[in-house]
Amino acid sequence: MKALDRGAKCIVADPRRIFFAERSNLFLPLRPGSNIPLLNGMAYVIIKEELYDNEFVEKYVENFDSYRHYILSEWDLAKASRYTGLKPFLIEQAAYLYSQAKSALILWGLGVSEHRAGSYTAMAAANLATLCGFWGKPGCGAMPLRGQNNVQGVCDMGGLPYVLPGYQSYLDPTTKLRFQEVWGTSLPDREGKTLPTLLREALSGKVKGLYAMGYDVAMSHGDIGVVWKALSNLEFFVVQDIFMPLSGKYAHVVLPAASVFEKCGTFTNGERRVQLFEKAVSPPGEALPDWLILTKLAQKLGYNWNYQSPAEIAEEIGRVWPAWKGILHSRLKERGIQWPCPEEDHPGTPILFTTGFPKGKIHLAMAKHIPPFEEPTSQYPFLLVTIRRLNHYNVGSMSRRCPSLKKLYSEPIIDINPEDAKEFGIYEGARVRVWNDRGEVIFRAHLEERVPRGQLYTDFHFETALTNLLVSPGLDELMETPEYKVSAVAISLLS
Amino acid sequence: MVIKIVINNKEIQAKKGEILLEIARREGFYVPTLCYLKDKSYPKNPCGICVVEVKGEGIVRSCNYVIEREIEVETDSPQVKNIRKKILENLVANHYGDCKAPCHTPCPGGLNIQGYIGFIAQGDFKASLALIKEKLPIPAVVGRVCPRFCEPVCRRSLVDQPVAINNLKRFVADYCLEHGELPLDLPPLNERRVAVVGAGPAGISCAYFLRLKGYRVTVFDKEEEPGGLLRYGIPSFKLPREVLRKELGNIFNLGIEFQGGKVWGRDFTLRDLKDRGFEAIFLAIGARKERFFGFQGEELAESGFEFLYKFNKELINLKEYEGKKIAILGCSYTALELSRVLRRLGASVSIYYPRSRMEVTIPQREIGYAEKEGVKFIYVTAPWILEKLERGYRVTFVRTSLTEKKEIKPLPETAFEEEFDIVFRAWGEAPSDEFKNFGDLEAELETTAEGIIKVNPQTLETSVRGVFAGGDFAHGAKTVIQAVAAGRKAAQAISAFLEGKPLKKALITVKYDFSRGKRAEEFDSNFLDLFVPEERAQLKERDPVKRIHDFEEVLIGLTEEEAIKEANRCLRCGCLGIHKCDFREIIIKEDVGVSKARKKIKYAIQKSHPLIEVDLNKCIACEKCVRICPYEAIFFRVVNKGTPAEYITFRFTERCVNCGACVDVCPTGSLTKKNLLVPYSRSEAHAVKSVCGYCGVGCNLTVWVKNGTILEVTGRDLPPNYGFTCVKGRFGFEYYKSPERLAYPMIRKDRLREFERVSWDTALEFVAENLMKISQEYGPESLGFLCSARCSNEENYLMQKIARGIFKTNNVDNPARV
Ligand SMILES: Cc1cc2nc3c(=O)[nH]c(=O)nc-3n(C[C@H](O)[C@H](O)[C@H](O)COP(=O)(O)OP(=O)(O)OC[C@H]3O[C@@H](n4cnc5c(N)ncnc54)[C@H](O)[C@@H]3O)c2cc1C
Ligand code: SF4
Ligand code: SF4
Ligand code: SF4
Ligand code: FES
Repeated sequence: MKALDRGAKCIVADPRRIFFAERSNLFLPLRPGSNIPLLNGMAYVIIKEELYDNEFVEKYVENFDSYRHYILSEWDLAKASRYTGLKPFLIEQAAYLYSQAKSALILWGLGVSEHRAGSYTAMAAANLATLCGFWGKPGCGAMPLRGQNNVQGVCDMGGLPYVLPGYQSYLDPTTKLRFQEVWGTSLPDREGKTLPTLLREALSGKVKGLYAMGYDVAMSHGDIGVVWKALSNLEFFVVQDIFMPLSGKYAHVVLPAASVFEKCGTFTNGERRVQLFEKAVSPPGEALPDWLILTKLAQKLGYNWNYQSPAEIAEEIGRVWPAWKGILHSRLKERGIQWPCPEEDHPGTPILFTTGFPKGKIHLAMAKHIPPFEEPTSQYPFLLVTIRRLNHYNVGSMSRRCPSLKKLYSEPIIDINPEDAKEFGIYEGARVRVWNDRGEVIFRAHLEERVPRGQLYTDFHFETALTNLLVSPGLDELMETPEYKVSAVAISLLS
Repeated sequence: MVIKIVINNKEIQAKKGEILLEIARREGFYVPTLCYLKDKSYPKNPCGICVVEVKGEGIVRSCNYVIEREIEVETDSPQVKNIRKKILENLVANHYGDCKAPCHTPCPGGLNIQGYIGFIAQGDFKASLALIKEKLPIPAVVGRVCPRFCEPVCRRSLVDQPVAINNLKRFVADYCLEHGELPLDLPPLNERRVAVVGAGPAGISCAYFLRLKGYRVTVFDKEEEPGGLLRYGIPSFKLPREVLRKELGNIFNLGIEFQGGKVWGRDFTLRDLKDRGFEAIFLAIGARKERFFGFQGEELAESGFEFLYKFNKELINLKEYEGKKIAILGCSYTALELSRVLRRLGASVSIYYPRSRMEVTIPQREIGYAEKEGVKFIYVTAPWILEKLERGYRVTFVRTSLTEKKEIKPLPETAFEEEFDIVFRAWGEAPSDEFKNFGDLEAELETTAEGIIKVNPQTLETSVRGVFAGGDFAHGAKTVIQAVAAGRKAAQAISAFLEGKPLKKALITVKYDFSRGKRAEEFDSNFLDLFVPEERAQLKERDPVKRIHDFEEVLIGLTEEEAIKEANRCLRCGCLGIHKCDFREIIIKEDVGVSKARKKIKYAIQKSHPLIEVDLNKCIACEKCVRICPYEAIFFRVVNKGTPAEYITFRFTERCVNCGACVDVCPTGSLTKKNLLVPYSRSEAHAVKSVCGYCGVGCNLTVWVKNGTILEVTGRDLPPNYGFTCVKGRFGFEYYKSPERLAYPMIRKDRLREFERVSWDTALEFVAENLMKISQEYGPESLGFLCSARCSNEENYLMQKIARGIFKTNNVDNPARV
């Protein structure tokens, strides 16, 4: 916003005419599921018209020729236009505006990730930045606006099946040694399973026990009916949360945790900025901070864990992950520090890649377009897109329980184009049924000009309207992110 | 380029292009501002308060003065001060508001009444109680017995009837006795010891506040049980013993020692206490000396006070009073409680009082209860002669009138006689000075002409250093809340004494407190018309015919619904922007009184925004709100600014995304948050650094906390958000106090059963056992561990460490895909 005030230019690509669209220089109302055609179409223009940063490409890119060939042969403007539903000149204009800027930043939200081609989309965006040399300078790069508050941090901390904290490989011998020294125990060396795999194997009976901390699997996952089956198949299921999650239905143990106001610790935002939050009030009843619960659990498991505070844990993280060594709570009292921060007096690193790239050269990915798993049919003519409302957050366990936010938006609403609404006899505030083979959900309808025809938008903030029942079983091919953004449904007025 | 400038004769390094106001602030010079916003445009009508005098140039606005060359500046020249004053006077003349709620002033306990009512209106009863308890440790008691100094001045009475302030207090106190309180932030006990003599309300509250500061307190009392007159004076139908026991129990459980059966003057002296290491002593033994009216044969009557004491200690033969005809002389608290006890014992009771009903010093309400129970009141009638008969008494009464000095004048010609089975004296009590001969230190304690111990009114310290006194003992028989207030005051003074620090004096600001009016007749009825009359909540009163057969509580407390409804009758008089009001601060600093403030309302209060209330009667048209708003969502226009004809138009447009930036920047109470119903001052709250728990931007927040409750959240001026937040940052904190929060560990053996609440030990053993079993039976690959994008780095680190380090599996994942 501040940037716009200072006169920065802005391109907005979104199926809906969102708030930013009004402040943009160029608004691209593309069809849902056509992110890659747009980005590749832009790449086509940039390469064809030689708008790219030749010097940067020569110096840093290892496979420019094959990429160039892929784009020029597969992604002519006409094709991009066909997929996106955008006039070719709009894509052209976008390509010029982006490539001719002095510096440019590509930001995206879950509209990019929550597709089958989500990861490819991220790569396609990164490709554009590479073509134009927009890395390692202020105001440059390509980054996701991360959804949840500590989604960056949880990945940094090794909350992933294929890497240790700090994205370090469990196969690397020196890393392994370091961990074993600090932890005083050995590490597993088989790659772990992602949640979708875990759930699949729970269904088949291979996975028996699950421990979910602050994560309502039963509510927030796509194609939720199958998830429920998987959870009820578990022999033992622990949930640890601040509110009774939907998953509690399938759990054997429910552990009460402290909220962010009731404990101290750090979160890492999308810019890798590690920030300290401090305890403001006491948790209700006997609820405890998650770190203390886990520490006590380890003790029950026979391990001599003895953390007295999150600050101590942070210190240990710095010992297993060198880029975190300088991230000490005592240094975060005033302001956050961006990792890498390898020393206790290191100021942190606001911009990555200023002096080169970790692997030496950049490899441009051939970002394939994978059409969404589902397309509207005559039976299910509408495309359902899930979004978040500004006033709420994800499964809404927190925001629904804020009287102030509830005032702003108190029940599940589905946005529909007024023309479509007319056709189906739906009026503002009407109760409607939305369904497909996977289930049905009741909403209140809101007629919204900004929604394109043939599409429906809603959120998943409410337990009473479990939108995720309807969500397509499609998963991102690389990351297995559920395809929240495109599902085929039907809608009708509830009489 | 560095330029040397001089401010108030001090040389200062400045950079070319810097703003003079910024330099002055950075260097610690006082230059007030009301409309300046860093890095933002200037308003069309600047406030002008930031003026300074630049040598050779005269008066300039410092907020838009750019340093180009060496200059000499004066920030406090007479001319500057004069201009400031004029500007402020103009603003004052256009301001209509109440800085503080009128109910706050007469409350001896100094309770934040509007605040605790505000919490009740939001259904946050525990926070309400915590706010009360910062001043009053025995609210369930006071909520039942207080004479209610506040209610007569309640503004709501100008609309219909006062808010039921005390019944609301009783409601939250009872609620929390049942449901528990917010945890106190108790410091560990230190080694400094204080003795409190007397476990009445004064002694107990002194002990409580000393304990909150960490001192080791021992309370001595001649009785075996604490409570003083609460236990041995006030009967159970007014104050159930169970309520008293629980409320006092909670206090002594904090780590305050109670030594019952220890009589000052018999078992110990002040010297003994000092010798035993008590560094300070608080004397609060109440008023036990009976007062006499002064008539012939008075000493032959029985003592009402004595009777109540014995009755409450169960030393009375209850059968003895059935069917007896009894007279009570005087209409003190003692008389009234006595009469109601005697009615319950089956006696017929008459109270004789030399003055009229309106002159009775105890609340009229109490007389009403007694009347309903069949107590007869005979006013303007004084006893003249009392004779003891063989069985019973004969009393000669006379009617009375008043002298010019409002003293009682008996009229002997009206004398009449009446016979009774029993006659009680109950003229009230006074403190005694028999302590004088308890010991050497006691002998040094000075007394007043009336024989009451002398104390310094500010510190309650006696003439002996380190010895303090308060409550009925030092002030004469008063009320429970006054005793509590004295106890708290003594605790503050004792703490200052122990730390060797001067007592902090509260600033008296009445002169600067805007007021919409004090008396009904000076009040703008247009303001009152904004409120719809609504009936005041009444406590249910048990049927008098039935209740005189038992000692159960007469009044039944409000229900939750009634309490919330009643709390919403409060007009919220006190300004809910006072904590952020720069205007008020500057007025006080510049010593501009507010007597010339507007007394008429000009703008209706706008309540249409879902989260923000707008009261333009307090707007100073600085346009900060307009300029801070990143969404251009405020339509604002002011005409004739600074004149009596000033007119402001303010409207939120549909562009508003409810982020709340405008409220936080508004330097008056014109814009306030609807979810903040508690007036507070920033200096008494903790500013806790926090990071927003919603999205990945990671906005820096300041969480304002008081008494274990979050009052509000503001943005912190740091990257990445630079003070801005979205609606969730500022308003999305409320979930933490939802009653739906999980508060206890729960387990079940299988999904067909209900969860049962267990201890942490049991729960974690159950978890450990089962995970272990699965791992052993099916191998570590059969377990999965899910981290959280909601939890801290440290917590997620531990989760994966459990998976990898303990169970030896990489089956760790997180909801990054959601
Ligand atoms: C019958 C009655 C009804 C009342 N009703 C109300 C009412 O409804 N509302 C209201 O606001 N006020 C009421 N009051 C007044 C109120 O109770 C007193 O103002 C208040 O209790 C004073 O508190 P205190 O702590 O100063 O003294 P007290 O409550 O009198 O406590 C003094 C304590 O000191 C102890 N003590 C005395 N001498 C010694 C000694 N030598 N050594 C050790 N310990 C000693 C006593 O045992 C007692 O525990 C009533 C008073 C009476 C008598
Ligand atoms: S209306 Fe509320 S704030 Fe005003 S005097 Fe009455 S109780 Fe106090
Ligand atoms: S509402 Fe507040 S910020 Fe806005 S102009 Fe009035 S006083 Fe200034
Ligand atoms: S805005 Fe400031 S001066 Fe005005 S009533 Fe509120 S606190 Fe008092
Ligand atoms: S004119 Fe300078 S602060 Fe208002």
